[in-house]
Amino acid sequence: MTKDTDEILAWVADIFETPLEKIRPETKRDEIEAWDSLGILTLIARMDEDYHILLTDEEIQRLRSVGDIIDFLHRRDANPGP
Amino acid sequence: MRFLFVDRILSLEPGRSIEAERVFPGDLDFFRDHFPGFPVVPGVLLTEMMGQAAAMCLNAEDPEIGRGRAVLAQIRSASFRDWVRPDELISIRAEIRTNRAELATAVCSAGVRGSRVSTADLLFTFLPKERTAPDDRDEVLESFLASRGRVKDRSHG
Repeated sequence: MTKDTDEILAWVADIFETPLEKIRPETKRDEIEAWDSLGILTLIARMDEDYHILLTDEEIQRLRSVGDIIDFLHRRDANPGP
Repeated sequence: MRFLFVDRILSLEPGRSIEAERVFPGDLDFFRDHFPGFPVVPGVLLTEMMGQAAAMCLNAEDPEIGRGRAVLAQIRSASFRDWVRPDELISIRAEIRTNRAELATAVCSAGVRGSRVSTADLLFTFLPKERTAPDDRDEVLESFLASRGRVKDRSHG
């Protein structure tokens, strides 16, 4: 199922316990206080639970902004992994 | 008071699920304050109790995984539906949902006399074995594994 960008923004806001108005595609990782080591663990767990995606270490490292998360999920929509 | 809140493991499927028990004896000091004249087990201790049971389930996995001791990283949600009084037998159940090298999640519940009194959704990370004392051991888990003819290899993690 294609993930709407607004849906992903709300999902990211929920994961990082941040008001939705502060979450934009251009928002960088270091601009989100809760995108710390615990935030990364939460992101990994929610990717698995909500989208059945097992993030690799490399994929985690490449996620540096909210837009990276949106692009990653859209690419996964187009090319579902194992 | 020791910070150990699981008395006995009833069943265990390492890395998947666990059933255990706990009684908070009425002579524990905190019951004087929580609450005067109406002693009940604090919700934070129920949450810790469920977390310790889930951690035992993860720690019972193959030591070759070598990821260390499971420790609570996040209480994702917790609910307390009824009072738990001193000396009541609490039945604990935890099911591991996500189980990876760097994290695990567990859905837990606690019940008294067949009624659910608390639930919790917990996230764990792992404390490397070299960060804990060389003689770190879990007597409750070891006792259960020994009773089933299994011994946890403490030389790994």
